[in-house]
Amino acid sequence: MEMLYHQYKRRVFGMAHRIVGQSDAEEVAQEVFVRVFRGLAAFRGDSALSTWIYRLTVNAALSHLARRGRRQEVGDDGLTELPAPPVTERDSALASRIETALALLPPGYRAILVLHDVEGLSHEECAAILECRIGTCKSQLHKARARMRELLGPNIAAQAIHTTGSSE
Amino acid sequence: MTTCETIQPRLTAYLDGDLDGERGSVVRGHLRECAACRQVARDEAALRDALRLAPPVDPPVSMWAGVQSKLAAAEVADARQPRWRRQVARWARWAPWPPTMPQYAAGAALAAAAVVMLYWRTQRVDELAPGPVAVAPIRTAPPHPIRTEAEQPAAVAPAADDVTADLLAEPARTTGSYRQVIEELMKLASDARTAWGDEQKVVFDAKLAVLRNGIDHAIQGRAQQRAQRALIRYLQLAVIRDDVMLAGGGAR
Repeated sequence: MEMLYHQYKRRVFGMAHRIVGQSDAEEVAQEVFVRVFRGLAAFRGDSALSTWIYRLTVNAALSHLARRGRRQEVGDDGLTELPAPPVTERDSALASRIETALALLPPGYRAILVLHDVEGLSHEECAAILECRIGTCKSQLHKARARMRELLGPNIAAQAIHTTGSSE
Repeated sequence: MTTCETIQPRLTAYLDGDLDGERGSVVRGHLRECAACRQVARDEAALRDALRLAPPVDPPVSMWAGVQSKLAAAEVADARQPRWRRQVARWARWAPWPPTMPQYAAGAALAAAAVVMLYWRTQRVDELAPGPVAVAPIRTAPPHPIRTEAEQPAAVAPAADDVTADLLAEPARTTGSYRQVIEELMKLASDARTAWGDEQKVVFDAKLAVLRNGIDHAIQGRAQQRAQRALIRYLQLAVIRDDVMLAGGGAR
C-alpha cells in the first residue's frame, strides 16, 4: 500500500495542486489515496491502474472545486470577462505567470492542460480519464491553450526565449 | 482557400503532430505565408513547452500520515454503519451509477420481458375463465354408467408465497378446473339423457367416446386442456340446447 502511495504521490499531488490550488491540494490528494486504497479490491482492471488513479484525482479535484463554491468557478461564458494579466518587464518568469494563468482557467480547461501538457498524457489517456471522446479532448485542449495565450498576452515565444536566456 | 480562421483551430493538432499528410501540408503552407498565424503557432508551442517543463510539485511529508488517519476514520465509520447500508454500498460498487449503455439495454430487455409475461398471463386468465355452464346449479344426477372425472387426482394448490411453485402448478390447476366443469356437465347430461331418443343416445355416446379418447391420449398440459375444452363445448351444446344431433357437429 505504501509502495503504491510513493509511486503516485507526486503526480497525484501535482495534479491536485494545479487544479485546486496549493491550499487544498493536500486534502484532495489524501482523499484520492483513501479512495484508491479502499477501492483497490473492487478495481476491475477496465483501464490501466494509473488511468484509474488519475481519473479519481481529476474527479476528486473537480468535485472539491464544486463543493468549495461555484462563485470561484468560471464558466465558458465568463472567460471573456477575465482580464489578461498585464505583461511587465519585471514579470519575466514565464513559469510563474503560467501557474497564475492556469489558476484563472475554468476547472475543465485546467484539467485537460494538466493532464496533456503538464503530465504529458496522450489524448487517448486523457479521454479515458475525463470519460469523454478523444475529439472532445482535443477540442478542449485547443480552447484551453487559446485561453492561456489570451491570459498570458502576446509574444509568449519571445518571453520564453527571454526567460531561458536570462536563466542561463 | 485557407484562411486564418480555418487554420488557427487546427494549430493545436498540428503542433502535437496529430495532422499528417495533406492536412498537415495545408497548415504548413499557410504558416509559410501568414506571419500572424506563425506567431500564434510559435506562442502556442512555447506555451506547450513551458507547461511540459513545469517543475514537479512535491507533496508535504505530512500527507502520508493524513492518508493513514483518514483510512482509519473511514474504517471506523464503516463499522458503525448498519449492515444494509454496507450491502447497498457493495452493490453500488458492482453496478456503478449512471449505468452504461449495455446496462440500460439489459434493463430495458428485462422490463419488456416483464410486460410480455404480464400480458400473456392476463390473456390466459381470460381464456381459462369458465363459461356460464360452470356456474350453473348442479342437479342431483341418477346413477349412470358414464364414467366421471372425479376419480382422477385433483391439482395440488401451491403455497401462496411461492411464486415459482405457483407458476409450475398453473397447468395442473387449469386441468383440474376443466375436470370439475366436465364432471358437472356430465351430471347434467345424465339428466338430459333420459329424455333423448335412442339415436341421440348412440350419437352422444360415440362422440363422447371419441372426445374422452382424445383427452386420454393427449400430452399433459396445453394439448390435454385443448381436448378438455372440446369436450366441454360439446357437453354445453348437448346439455343446454338439449340437441345431441346438433351438438355432434359442434364438437370440433
